Amino acid sequence: MEICNSYSSSSVDSTKHSASESSVNLSLSLTFPSTSPQRATKQDWPPIKPRLRDTLKVRRRLLQRDYDTCLFVKVYMEGVPIGRKLDLSTFSGYESLLESLSQMFNTSIICGNHRDRKHHVLTYQDTDGDWMMVGDIPWEMFLETVRRLKITKPEGC
Amino acid sequence: MDRRFPFKVLEHIFSFVDSNEDRNSVSLVCKSWFETERRTRKRVFVGNCYAVSPLKVARRFPKMRSLTLKGKPHFADYNLVPDGWGGYAWPWIEAMAARRPFLEEIRLKRMVVTDECLEKIAASFRDFKTLVLTSCEGFSTDGIAAIASTCRKLRDLELRECIVDDLGGDWLSYFPETSTSLVSLDFSCLDSEVKLSDLERLLSRSPNLKSLKLNRSVTLDVLESLLRRAPQLVELGTGSFSDELDPEEIAKLTKALSELKQLKSLSGLWDLLPEYIPLLYSLCPRLTSLNLSYATVQMPDLIDLLSRCSKLQKLWVMDLIEDKGLKTVALCCKELRELRVFPSGADLDETDVTLTEQGLVSVSEGCPKLESVLYFCVQFTNAALVSIAKNRPNFRCFRLCVMEPFAPDYRTQQPLDEGFKAIVERCKDLRRLSVSGLLTDKAFEYIGVHAKKLRMLSIAFAGDSDLMLHHLLSGCQSLKKLEIRDCPFGDTALLENAAKLETMRSLWMSSCFVSFGACKQLSQKMPRLNVEVIDEHPPKTRPDSSPVERIYIYRTVAGPRLDTPEFVWTIHKSPEVGVSRLSIR
Repeated sequence: MEICNSYSSSSVDSTKHSASESSVNLSLSLTFPSTSPQRATKQDWPPIKPRLRDTLKVRRRLLQRDYDTCLFVKVYMEGVPIGRKLDLSTFSGYESLLESLSQMFNTSIICGNHRDRKHHVLTYQDTDGDWMMVGDIPWEMFLETVRRLKITKPEGC
Repeated sequence: MDRRFPFKVLEHIFSFVDSNEDRNSVSLVCKSWFETERRTRKRVFVGNCYAVSPLKVARRFPKMRSLTLKGKPHFADYNLVPDGWGGYAWPWIEAMAARRPFLEEIRLKRMVVTDECLEKIAASFRDFKTLVLTSCEGFSTDGIAAIASTCRKLRDLELRECIVDDLGGDWLSYFPETSTSLVSLDFSCLDSEVKLSDLERLLSRSPNLKSLKLNRSVTLDVLESLLRRAPQLVELGTGSFSDELDPEEIAKLTKALSELKQLKSLSGLWDLLPEYIPLLYSLCPRLTSLNLSYATVQMPDLIDLLSRCSKLQKLWVMDLIEDKGLKTVALCCKELRELRVFPSGADLDETDVTLTEQGLVSVSEGCPKLESVLYFCVQFTNAALVSIAKNRPNFRCFRLCVMEPFAPDYRTQQPLDEGFKAIVERCKDLRRLSVSGLLTDKAFEYIGVHAKKLRMLSIAFAGDSDLMLHHLLSGCQSLKKLEIRDCPFGDTALLENAAKLETMRSLWMSSCFVSFGACKQLSQKMPRLNVEVIDEHPPKTRPDSSPVERIYIYRTVAGPRLDTPEFVWTIHKSPEVGVSRLSIR
C-alpha cells in the first residue's frame, strides 16, 4: 500500500504546523472517558469561532475589572525597599487613608496641600504613569485613576 | 422516429428548475437531458472543492455565471484542522479565468484565497459582480483593493469572518469615483480604520446599497454621517457602539437611525452601552434579524430592547440574556425562526450567568415558528429535551452544545439518550443535529432509527463503542456530513459501512480510535474515496494498529489531491502507483 505525501505546488505556502492542534495522547489508555476532559484544550472547546473566542477573552478581562470591588495598590516609602499592599476600597476618603498610612509606616504623612519640610508627602502614580500629589482631585476620581502610592521624604518633593 | 424533445423545448423547461439537487437528478435521466442540463446551468455549487477537478467543472457548464465552493472541513472553524491543510482557491480561479470569462459571482467558504487569486478575478471576469468570502484566509487588503478598483460592475463585496492580513484602510479609496453599482458591502472582519471621507463619498454615490456592515474601527460619532447618506439600507452592521457622545450627537444619531425606514437587519453593535439602547428603539418594530453576539449588553437592559422586536425572526445573542431574557423573547417575539445563544465566557470555568435549559424550553414553548437553534449551555436535562421536542416538532436544525464534556442529566445523573431520542423522534424534518453531554450507544441507535432526513451530524465526547458509528452509518439514510471528535471507536464500524461513505460528502474523525491499518483497508475497498490521514507523525513509522490523530474521508472523482502538506497523507489504492510521478492535469 503506497502512501502518498505530495508536496504543495509553488504558489502556496503550507509547511507551517499548526500550534493549536488538540493534544492527543497517542498511547490511548483503555479507560478512555476518564482521560478525556483534558483533551478538550482551550483552543478548540467549546466549539466557537476564532473571532468570537478572541472577543470573549478581551471582554472577560474588561468585565472582570468592572466587577472587582477591591482596589489593591502597592505603597512604597522612599528609602524603604519593601512596599505594602493596601485595599483602597476600605477607606472613606483621604483623611482615613492618611491616618492608616501614618500608622502603617510610623510617621506623619500629609497630603500635598499642606506641604512643609517636616512631614512626608503622599504621592500617587496615575493611569497615565504620571506622579501626582494626593488630594488634588475628588476621592472617587482618585480611586479610578490611582495605580500606585509613594510616600516621599520630607526634603524632596 | 426521434421521440426526444427538441433541445430548445428541454432548455425552456429546465430554465424553471432552480435547485441544484433537482438539476443533478435531471442530469441523471439520460444523455440528452444531461447535455441540455449542463448547457443551461448557471449557478454551480461544489460542496467539497476536492471532490471534482476545476477543469471538469469549467468544461461541463459553459453557461456558468455563479460558482460556490467550500474547502476545509467544518471543524476547521474550531481550530481542529491544522494550518496548511489545503482548500486553495487558486486552481479554481485559474481554471475559470481561462475558460469561463463570463463568470459573475464567486462565493467561497473556508478556503485559502491569496491576493493573487483576487487580482486574477479582477483581471479576468469583466462582468464580475459578486464576491462573498466566508471564513476564508490568505489574502490582504491589497487583494481587496484590486477587486474594488477593477471590477466596474461590482455589486457585492462581502468578507464574512475572514482572517485578513490588514495593511490599512486604503483599500476603500480604490473604488473609482464612477462606481455606483454597490448593493452590499461587508468589511466587518477587518481591523484597521478606513477613511471617513472615502466611506461617505462611496455611500453618497451608491443609491442601490442595501447592506452595509462596518468594522469595529468605525466609531459611533461618525455613524450618523454615514447613515444620512444611506437611508435606504435594509441591513446595517454598525461599528463600535461604546464611544461617548454629547447630547447633541445623541439626538442626531437617534434621528438618523429613525430615518432607516427599510431596515430589517441589525448587527455589529460592538460593546453596546446600555445607555445607548434607547437609540435603537425606533428600529425595533421592523427588525427581522438582530445579531447581538458582540454586544456586551446584560440583563435587564436586554429586555428593553427585545420586548420591542415583535417581528424578529432571527436572534443571535450572548448567554448574558439568561433564562429571564429568553422568557421575554418567548413572550414578545412570536415570529422567531432562528435562535443562537453563544457563551460569554470563553473558558468553561468562567461561565457564571444564569442560563440554563429553562431558557430554551421557554422559547420552544412560546415561539411557534422556531425551527433552528444553536444553544450553548453548561448542562442540560432529559426532561427539558423532551419538552422542547414536544413543543417544537418543526425543528430543522438543532444544535445543542453542553459545554461540560460527558455531562449527564444534572437532575437524574442519567445520560441524555432519552432526551435526544425525543428530538429525533418528534422532529421528522430534522436536517442538522449537534449532540453533546453524556451519551451512550443507545442515543445513536435512536438517531439511526428516527433521523431519516438528517443530513449533517456533529458529535463530540460521546458513545461507548463502534456500535455508535454503526447505528449512524447504517441508519441515517440522508446523511451527507458527519463530523466526530473524541469518541472511542471506529475501525469495525467504518469498514462494515464503507459503502455508505460514498453516498456522503465527507466524514471527519479526530481523536478517535481509528487505526492506520483500518484506513488502509478502507481506502483499498473504496476506490472513489480519498482517505486522508492528518497526523504529525508519519503513519508508516508506526504499527498498523496504532490510532491516527485525525482522518478526513470524502468521495471524489478527482483522485488523490496533489497539494497536501507534510502532515497529510492520502492513502493510495494500490502499491504500483508512484504518486510523486502523477501529473497534475
